[in-house]
Amino acid sequence: MEPRTEAIYNKNIAITALVGILAALLLAFREGVFSPVPIYGSLIFIVIMFVGHFLTNHLFPKQDPALFILCCFICQLGLVMLYRIDPESAAKQLIWFGIGCLLYFISSFVCRTWIEIKVGPFIFFLVTFVLLASPLIFGVERYGSKSWISFGNFLFQPSELAKITFSLFLADTLKEHKIEDSIKFFGQIFVVLGLLAFARDLGGAMLFYFAALIIIFAATSRLDLTVLGLIGAVVAGLLGYQFFGHVRVRTKAWLNPWEDVPGKGYQIVQSLFAIAEGGFFGTGLGLGRPDYIPAVTTDFIFSAFFEEFGFLGASALIVVYFLLIYRGIKISLTIENSFLCLSALGITVFFGIQIFTIIGGVIKLIPMTGVTLPFMSYGGSSMVMSFISLGILNGIIMRALGGEADG
Amino acid sequence: MDKLKRNIKLIFVVFSVLFISLILYLTYFTAVEREQLIKSSYNRRLWEQEEKVMRGTIYDSKGRPLAETGFEGGTKRRIYNGGKAIGPLIGYSDRVLGRAGIENVFNGELLGVSEQDPVTLLRQKILGVSEQGSDVYLTIDLDLQKTAYDLFQGRKGALVALEPQTGRILALVSSPGYDPSTVKQDWEKLSKDENKPLINRATQGLYPPGSAFKIITLAGALTYNPEIEYEKFYTPGYIKVSGSIIRDGQHLWPGEYDLNTAFRYSSNTVFIQIGQRVEREKMIEMAEAFGFNASNKSDIPIAKSTFPRPPVIGGDVEMAESFIGQGRILSTPVQMAQVAAIIANDGKMVTPYIAQKIVSPLGTEISKAPKASTTQVVSSEVARKIKALMVDVVKSGTGTAAAISGIEVAGKTGSAENPHGQAHAWFVGFAPAENPKIAVAVVVENAGSGGSVAGPIARGVISKYLSDIIR
Repeated sequence: MEPRTEAIYNKNIAITALVGILAALLLAFREGVFSPVPIYGSLIFIVIMFVGHFLTNHLFPKQDPALFILCCFICQLGLVMLYRIDPESAAKQLIWFGIGCLLYFISSFVCRTWIEIKVGPFIFFLVTFVLLASPLIFGVERYGSKSWISFGNFLFQPSELAKITFSLFLADTLKEHKIEDSIKFFGQIFVVLGLLAFARDLGGAMLFYFAALIIIFAATSRLDLTVLGLIGAVVAGLLGYQFFGHVRVRTKAWLNPWEDVPGKGYQIVQSLFAIAEGGFFGTGLGLGRPDYIPAVTTDFIFSAFFEEFGFLGASALIVVYFLLIYRGIKISLTIENSFLCLSALGITVFFGIQIFTIIGGVIKLIPMTGVTLPFMSYGGSSMVMSFISLGILNGIIMRALGGEADG
Repeated sequence: MDKLKRNIKLIFVVFSVLFISLILYLTYFTAVEREQLIKSSYNRRLWEQEEKVMRGTIYDSKGRPLAETGFEGGTKRRIYNGGKAIGPLIGYSDRVLGRAGIENVFNGELLGVSEQDPVTLLRQKILGVSEQGSDVYLTIDLDLQKTAYDLFQGRKGALVALEPQTGRILALVSSPGYDPSTVKQDWEKLSKDENKPLINRATQGLYPPGSAFKIITLAGALTYNPEIEYEKFYTPGYIKVSGSIIRDGQHLWPGEYDLNTAFRYSSNTVFIQIGQRVEREKMIEMAEAFGFNASNKSDIPIAKSTFPRPPVIGGDVEMAESFIGQGRILSTPVQMAQVAAIIANDGKMVTPYIAQKIVSPLGTEISKAPKASTTQVVSSEVARKIKALMVDVVKSGTGTAAAISGIEVAGKTGSAENPHGQAHAWFVGFAPAENPKIAVAVVVENAGSGGSVAGPIARGVISKYLSDIIR
């Protein structure tokens, strides 16, 4: 890496650390008496981040350091909010963050070495299928969808991992820029969507649908399919409204939450109140009322963040997420190998849609769908899988840059 | 491959648009929708604020507290001064009953949550006054309000008194009223009472204005057909409009009338003739210029007064009825007070308002008085002619009961027929005629003749106010 670029990255990581320490100091004095816990937490976080950044930059000089810094920045804000809401879940989340970082580099490394192993798209499909089918058989129901598997205390959502295998499946099938066997291909996609709908994970189904639509468009340049797909989305939405009670509830809550504030509109209205309270500058860290917002550590963490950090803070957060998407897109643009390019795009697109739908949902720009905000929402499987996805993205660019250097 | 890269760039553009739309929507939300949500009664943050905050005081125009928060045995309590006279106007604020009146309209200010400027908020936090709401100063004069309320002697009705040049609301009475201090204990009885004391009739009551509306008919006629001033009108005591017959009151005899006599004795048949001379569209425009069919511009919610216009308007009969304030025309007492004030103010527009200023706990004053309007509703010449005719109504016409010795009062009476029994009694006027200080509108429900019932109430309020300001 050029010294100048390196200096920029170092500056960014220093600023991230500084923000963390300031937030930890505020949290330490929050209850009037000094509590050192947040400062310890912050130091652990910073150590993990610094080790991750400097050690891996040394080991893998061809990686994209920005990915790691950006997601550390987001994770840190998430941890600050979580600590402020419930210190215990923040502690757990910090452990998940550590595991996530480790897996990030493992997946980067594995991916760099093994990504082009020739397994064929069908294997990817099969893995996706098994992942999505397993909770239907072994799974438990949480938050209205049967898409979780429990290992003791730990709940794992296999669809998080399926996002990666599904991206690889699409990329592998479409790497020649055409659809060889339409019936088989679309059949496979609808099996995947069907499994998600069957688990009543409609937010997930929507995510997979749009990701597939975008990647098919990118690979084949088929406008007819894209238009058909968009029409299909509208039809699916209408059918969902007809046949799924909670799609109806969510749509109504979106169109007019004020009709039934104590009932259907409750969640979204509480979220909007928090955002209104925040205003341009926010109430300040620790001065909002996240306890009024339901599901505040998972779906609605953005509203709680908005209340305390205000429009300015929240816009900055959106910009950071946008930079992450930008890096992903940039990686897929640098790569000449079409399978890798489409894989990188797939992972980025999954991130992009997910971020947009959850933020758009809690601010009532679009109807609410129960997906997590990557790197911020509380939850081990979301955190770990987000890191693994990003690690794969990093592995892909490492491979591409490494290949260039070699040849 | 090139196509793939092009597509990816396109996808990036789509994502950029999506993310920008998030920020744009949040900008819109924070700039526009935010304020309403903060004040929403569903917002638990507001309840919490309510528990924590010392609700601000509501003062009358002379600095006397109408509602203030004090402590009684260690618990916070809202204390109201003014009894039943102020109930429908001031309203109440209660966790169980909700909010009404001024307590509702200015809730955000009284709780101190409407303060938008973050610097001020910060200063309040540092100075330790953030747990105190702002005070609201009204234009109401408590003495005048009480005098007016007592004059109703419990009869159903409403009174509005304005300062004609500014639109300041001096009194806003709705009778029967209730005492906000005991509204919680009395709730059961009040909410079932057939006389509906919880409603503010002055702002929400919609009545046919009856002959009091002839002021506007006259304004239309004098503006568009000034020659009528010198004409004589013959009436046989009734008039046929498309087959329907509309009659004059029993105190009128058939014969020839000039404008002055017709207005003084309030001849329906002559005013229908006069009204019919003016183009229908012009007459609707005139009524709307006086404030009918217009959305509320005041700082308190006021029901919309309506003058029938296409496509709602029926035929000639309905239009003819409108000229004499009957049919489908409906007006609030505030609207009719505004009509009187416009004539008193040389024909210039007057917008009623009730909050003079808001004073924050730091002492910063925000003036709420609107700028005086220069919009001419009718020319000052027409206003002067109408004024002269109104003076004659009180001197020697239907409004003699409102006459005060030594002061020239201008007015117009009305007895508005309605389906609920006897006519509603109206008096609309102002005084002193040469230099108007106060404009009033009085309505007493189902009380019969406007002059004899509403006139004395107007008289009492006008003389009380004028003697107060002279002193």
